[in-house]
Amino acid sequence: MAKREPSVNTQNLTAVQIMELDSCSRCGECVNWCPTYDASAQDPGLAPRDKILRWREFMNKSYGLRARLFGPKEIPEEDIEKFKDDVYKCTTCGMCATVCESAINTVELWESMRANLVKRGNGPYGKQGMFIKLIAEYKNPYMANNADRVNWFPKDIKVEDKAEVLYFGGCTAELKQRKLALATARVLNKLGIKFTMLGEDEICCGSALIRTGQYFINDTAKVNAQKNIDNIKAKGAKTVLYACAGCYRASLIDWPRLTGKKLPFKVVHITQFLQDLIEKGDIKWEKSIDKKVTYHDPCHLGRHVGVFEPPRAVLKSIPGIEFIEMERIEENQRCCGAGGGVKAGVPDLAMGVAKTRVEDALETEADLLSSACPFCKRNLSDGRDALGAKQLEVEDVVVLVAEAMGIDLSDAPKE
Amino acid sequence: MVLEYYSGLLINGEIFRINFITVMILANLAIGIFLVGMYINLKKWGMGSTGYGKEPSGSIFAFPRMLAQQMSEHAHVHNQSVLETFVLDILFQRRILRRSPLRWFMHFTIFFGWMALFVLSLAMFAVEMVYISAEAMGIHDLPDFLVPTLLRDMLAVPNDIFSYILLTGIIIAIYRRLFIAKMREATIAYDSILLIGLTAITVTGFIADGIRTERLWGFGLDPSLAPPTALFHVVISLLFCIAYIPFSKYIHMIAIPLALLANKGGE
Repeated sequence: MAKREPSVNTQNLTAVQIMELDSCSRCGECVNWCPTYDASAQDPGLAPRDKILRWREFMNKSYGLRARLFGPKEIPEEDIEKFKDDVYKCTTCGMCATVCESAINTVELWESMRANLVKRGNGPYGKQGMFIKLIAEYKNPYMANNADRVNWFPKDIKVEDKAEVLYFGGCTAELKQRKLALATARVLNKLGIKFTMLGEDEICCGSALIRTGQYFINDTAKVNAQKNIDNIKAKGAKTVLYACAGCYRASLIDWPRLTGKKLPFKVVHITQFLQDLIEKGDIKWEKSIDKKVTYHDPCHLGRHVGVFEPPRAVLKSIPGIEFIEMERIEENQRCCGAGGGVKAGVPDLAMGVAKTRVEDALETEADLLSSACPFCKRNLSDGRDALGAKQLEVEDVVVLVAEAMGIDLSDAPKE
Repeated sequence: MVLEYYSGLLINGEIFRINFITVMILANLAIGIFLVGMYINLKKWGMGSTGYGKEPSGSIFAFPRMLAQQMSEHAHVHNQSVLETFVLDILFQRRILRRSPLRWFMHFTIFFGWMALFVLSLAMFAVEMVYISAEAMGIHDLPDFLVPTLLRDMLAVPNDIFSYILLTGIIIAIYRRLFIAKMREATIAYDSILLIGLTAITVTGFIADGIRTERLWGFGLDPSLAPPTALFHVVISLLFCIAYIPFSKYIHMIAIPLALLANKGGE
């Protein structure tokens, strides 16, 4: 009789990640902090600890002692399908990794499990399955004409053909939340910084594909990352600016990993760039923003790469702003709920998490909830609207900078 | 020559002998089971790849290769040294302290008490080996600390102290599992077995010591029961502390330090 094949395989999981499954001490700290577990009315399946336990059992049934002696034990397909649903109901915010006493790199683990399940034919989840087709066809996930990335810029915007500084706008800011792209471009122009952009040669950074475990399909994410890198090089850029936390994280961490090469340019978030200029005294504020402002750390900018201080330094330097922190900030910040493909795949869950985060902001009695990521802004705005908290403005740090520099953004396209 | 095992079994100058060979066979069996288990675990871990997005390796060397690669990589947020990870995160367990001082105290007392008793037992064993070998070679003029009976007396107080430390941690762990609703509801057999094993080893250790020294926790039992109780304590210690590690939650004693090293102390 032929030996039974294991029900699951180890595709896309590294040897260290399989070991990490055995390092979970089940202390439950991750359960205390997980935003989707909270927003799902504490569905036990969403608890990070439970996901690790189940995958470890899958591994042991397939490759453990018993499997070695008597052959792999079959795992019911509905168990794997249920696991897939649960592992996709995660925003990959990384809070579980921050609090994990065993130091398990959970974000990478969830993403690897997702990739494994995509290869197995279970993943991705819901509308996330469209990402690969849309990005391959349109070079962005919004089904927008890629030529429309910057061709809508008002005539006053000066974008160089080639420059040492390149602004990588990102799909969301260039195609959906154009006020952010406009604000960034005008701030750079007003500061006299010559910059270039990729325009229609810009391709989705791949974050959506990587976070949802689809990066390997047709090598799309790798090919696109390489094309972006080549196009950036061709523009002569030595520094690449990002106003999108997702693109920033993808470029900084995922592009070198996908291509297997160091980036030939410096990756800088716009808030880091602005903080530097503020410290040099190069920014002249023209307007006071007399508001009480709080700041939400985007997961991809904060916990994933450690950029906590620059956005705060920028906000604090703007005249008139009374800066106030929410209770959960920086490495302990609560996710906005949009990441990891949850906004597209499980919108109700994304909304639930967003509402909790907006409630955090409302507790501070702030007038304005700022962030440094268009995706966070979108979901936090939705959460604010769902709560009916019209008094709370949600805005990007760069837009506030533009306003304080006296830049008019009234001609920004509607979002 | 007849080898004798009498660690901790001396009463009023009389040696209660347990056949050394029996314990050695058990110890070697436990180590053998441990090694087979670790081989299976290494094979299982080695089913992963040696890089993100790479094909599964299937080699038993995949894990050490990936570990070495991760440890040498530049991390964007945390780049602490191996030494810092080893001292502060593995030995001092500061990640637990950051989250919960009580849980840290519980875990640290178990870890510290356990490790100290393990080291003291190893030291006792090593001295016995030296003593037996010396005797066989006709060397009788050994310093006090190389004479098992004298060393055992020297180690009596540290053994007591570390046993109490270990017991303190275990009592807190049992209390948490039984009386904190959230903990109790989340407890599964995987967790219980670890705690039951630890408790059994510790309790039998205390009882064996109590019978031998006629202290309170000997429950007034006949001193003749000391050798079999001690043997039972040794057997379950070998089984739980060595043989069972790769097949149970005890694996975390090996896997957590590895995860801490691989992730440079973690996020």
